[in-house]
Amino acid sequence: MARLFHRLFIANRGEVAARVGRTCERLGITPVFGVSEADRAAPYAQTHETVVLGPSRSSESYLDLERVVQAAVQSGCTALHPGWGFLSENPRFASLCETHGVTFLGPPAHAMQLMGTKTPAKRAMAAAGLTLIDGSEGILATADEARRVADRVGYPVLLKAERGGGGRGMRIARSADEIERAFDEARAEALACFADSDLYLEKLVERGRHVEIQLLADKYGNVVHLGERDCTVQRNHQKLIEESPAPTLDPQERARALAAAKKATAAIGYVGAGTMEFLLDGDGTLRFMEMNTRLQVEHCVSEMRSRWPGASTPIDLVEEQILAGAGHRLKHEEVEFEGHAIECRINAEDPSAGFQPAPGVLTAFEVPKGEGIRVDTHVEAGYEVPPFYDSLICKVIAHAPTRDEACDRMIGALEKLRCEGVPTTVPMHLAILRSEAFRSGAYDTGAIPGWPAEGGAS
Amino acid sequence: MSRVPVHLVGAPRSEVVDDRTFAEEREALDALETRLVEARAKVHAGWGTKYVDRVHAKGKLTARERIERLRDPGTPVHEVGTLVNEGRKFGKLESPGAGVVTAFVRVEGRWCIVIGNDNTVASGAWWPRTPEKIQRAQTMALRLKLPVLYLVDCSGLFLPEQSQSFGGPKGAGHIFKMNSLLSASGVPQIAGVFGDCIAGGGYMPIISDRVYMTEQAYMVIAGAALIKGAKSQKITSLGIGGPEVHVHASGCADVRVPDDETLLECLRDEMRRLPSSAAPYYRGDTGSMPPAFGAHELAGLLPTDHRESYDANQVLARLCDQSLFWEVLPETGREMICGVGRVGGLWAGFVINRQGLLEDPERPGELRPGGTLYRAGIAKMAAFSRACDQDGIPLIWLQDISGFDIGQQAEAQGLLAYGSSLIYTNSTNTTPMFTVLLRKCSGAGYYAMAGMPYDPIVQLSTSLSRLSVMEGRTLAIATFNTKLDDEFEILSRDPEERAAIEAGMKETEARIERDMDPFVSARHMDTDEIIRVAELRERLEVLVECSYQTIAHRRIKNPRIWSLHDLDVLARGIPEAVR
Repeated sequence: MARLFHRLFIANRGEVAARVGRTCERLGITPVFGVSEADRAAPYAQTHETVVLGPSRSSESYLDLERVVQAAVQSGCTALHPGWGFLSENPRFASLCETHGVTFLGPPAHAMQLMGTKTPAKRAMAAAGLTLIDGSEGILATADEARRVADRVGYPVLLKAERGGGGRGMRIARSADEIERAFDEARAEALACFADSDLYLEKLVERGRHVEIQLLADKYGNVVHLGERDCTVQRNHQKLIEESPAPTLDPQERARALAAAKKATAAIGYVGAGTMEFLLDGDGTLRFMEMNTRLQVEHCVSEMRSRWPGASTPIDLVEEQILAGAGHRLKHEEVEFEGHAIECRINAEDPSAGFQPAPGVLTAFEVPKGEGIRVDTHVEAGYEVPPFYDSLICKVIAHAPTRDEACDRMIGALEKLRCEGVPTTVPMHLAILRSEAFRSGAYDTGAIPGWPAEGGAS
Repeated sequence: MSRVPVHLVGAPRSEVVDDRTFAEEREALDALETRLVEARAKVHAGWGTKYVDRVHAKGKLTARERIERLRDPGTPVHEVGTLVNEGRKFGKLESPGAGVVTAFVRVEGRWCIVIGNDNTVASGAWWPRTPEKIQRAQTMALRLKLPVLYLVDCSGLFLPEQSQSFGGPKGAGHIFKMNSLLSASGVPQIAGVFGDCIAGGGYMPIISDRVYMTEQAYMVIAGAALIKGAKSQKITSLGIGGPEVHVHASGCADVRVPDDETLLECLRDEMRRLPSSAAPYYRGDTGSMPPAFGAHELAGLLPTDHRESYDANQVLARLCDQSLFWEVLPETGREMICGVGRVGGLWAGFVINRQGLLEDPERPGELRPGGTLYRAGIAKMAAFSRACDQDGIPLIWLQDISGFDIGQQAEAQGLLAYGSSLIYTNSTNTTPMFTVLLRKCSGAGYYAMAGMPYDPIVQLSTSLSRLSVMEGRTLAIATFNTKLDDEFEILSRDPEERAAIEAGMKETEARIERDMDPFVSARHMDTDEIIRVAELRERLEVLVECSYQTIAHRRIKNPRIWSLHDLDVLARGIPEAVR
């Protein structure tokens, strides 16, 4: 028995639940899966202990704070992994876990709470030395103040609700004479949606690249980074392909941002795994946008190419989260890197039909194997993709000495992936990977390189 | 179980009241609070720009400018007693804020009480109630063991009104007794003398541990004006009691500095030399986190009409960190909610009245009004208050109370005695107590829930507070009792007599209504401050943090050894194995 938590509650579903479960078993920890009624049939639920949280609708199961904590306590778990999505970034949930004696595998609730805000988080990050997107220092009192800030940072600008989210309470102003209207409209919408009219302003960077830094901290103020990831290939803010290192980042800027991100992580008392998201602007500067205070879907990209000095296997971020939660120190001051890694998210969606989710039964499922290939999945042949949640089927990660080799390896793997019964995003990934735009790195978040494919989608 | 079993409390605003009602209530409250905002602004302006300019012309700063430079950037200044003497005339003169600023201010990470003479009002003279206001602030410091900073710039007692503030138990001299008691209790006191410091003003700084003087400052028992021959000999007050005398010859002061700015910098340095706050220690691994539901939503959720009810849990949800709360003895005395939550990461006890119609446990199937004290609720409050005192948890009383239950049954149950037990408890508590008059605070209910006569360290009112022995309507009935029938309708059939009784009752009601105005209690120091409803959470954050700042002067037990857990187990019978 590991000298760690004996039983760990997995408060999530699908791929991440299976992923966390695998690490638990490797460490000798018994995983207990909280499942909704719809997920009782999932392969991981067949072979492990489960607690049914409630109905299929996530608001009555995976999102019910009290039910999940109660399930963890009653199943005798001493730690809880929240996965991603659902309650993973809910500081109230983290506190509830802690006050009921269950270690929440994530940062302290107050660090999570701070990073879940907008201007206070930015202020804290600026104070710790990160570069921000130009904008107001904090909340704007009047449209005049907004205009003064906008004149200073340059148009176009974005007026955003301090308590906003989901694109609401947000307006663009492209010139000084648009400020007043944008200000009033954003304010009214913010008041209506969030009962709070506070606004701040940011310069609108229309074309840029999305770069993020993976961080890992222990409870004693030690922080390492696991390099950066480029997630510029996106559709409606949904990441499609992620890779590390970032192909177009200046080495000096990389070094500066990595060092600053480590410092900022320590400054807020962060613990565990977290990701800082940056916008890489036209001048090649990484500007802080927000911090994801949880494990991310694309964490495997960083795992594949990082190792603790002297270790024979890659870093397992879930293991590190568990260790940090149990009060272990980081093993070393730095992480070593090797080669290039790239990940494709395979969803049960039809890319040629507007990415419509397509739940259904997988009639056949076979994953590719080979050097430098990793496939993370929770499914098997016969699995039915439920209609209630996201439609991620698996993630394919390829690792090779260079970016080109990694791309080729990925193409080979995707060609070998057998997934029948539902449409998948594989054809889109292949088109992107084969495109000149993607290979040369000439793209930004404005469009998907190589997609739709020349001559129309097929 | 020694964990603090907090649970989610409250709901999003949209699920509590509809948008329209919320907007209307907020507007109605705004209208009431406009008066408060304006009254505060008037006090902050002192005697106006002419006097501000006069201070500046001397190369000095005003009292509020001094505080602005003292406080840690970004931290609030919470004044108490802002409206003392509001609207009161002395001849043709007014004394905004009674000519002194008293406030909770954070300096170098430590909360302190600042007492600064308002040098834009009669050169910082002491008016009637100025000594009481200063003593009240000193008492807050004494009970919370917070350092006191005196910003002295005081021309002495406002002599035409001397008879009102000299001879009594709270006369000006009692300030120096408070100086002494603070000193005797080991509470740090630091004085900055910025200008005139005559007679009483001269005594106030001397007991302080450290006394700083600017080159414009002098401290004298009597100024040059009272010295024979001073004019011909060109003797000035500065000459007889300036830093040249007191820093070097008499030793009544410690340090001379050239100007206001330097002195304020020195006060900050002094604060830095004091032990740092223990609040982070008591927070443990927890930080301060806002409620999950915006504290600002309290404005709009509290109905402005005191007859309308609301869900008290929604108030707690907007005061406790992350809207997590442990309700203690939830099944007993449901008209009261007692429990524990964190405020700014630190545990605090809450007592609040549940409103609306509630099940009557003594008459199954029947309802009775909340916002009233019945036997079980009183007993619960007393036990909870005692437990918080035992455990060292600061206690916040949120009043919206019409009073005790009345009638034969209430008397037979001995509500007088249960009430007295509660009063005994609250009177002998040493844990910090803070009282908030959310809306109604009537009669013995105000006393039972730790109203001002029971020495809460701070009592806050809102623009909705209605402080009275009884509502005007009730008093009108009592006054005209012999003229009314069982239903309180007028007996007489004579139109003239009826009209006279009606007029008399109306006048009685109107008078009480006028006296219930929270401005009246603020003016008379029956309450410490009127705050905006939306400010309540921020105020409580500061008060609770102050309660945990200083170590080793009061019992602060860790949750493992709280007697509250014992109470919980006793109330439940056999505890469940797992909760």
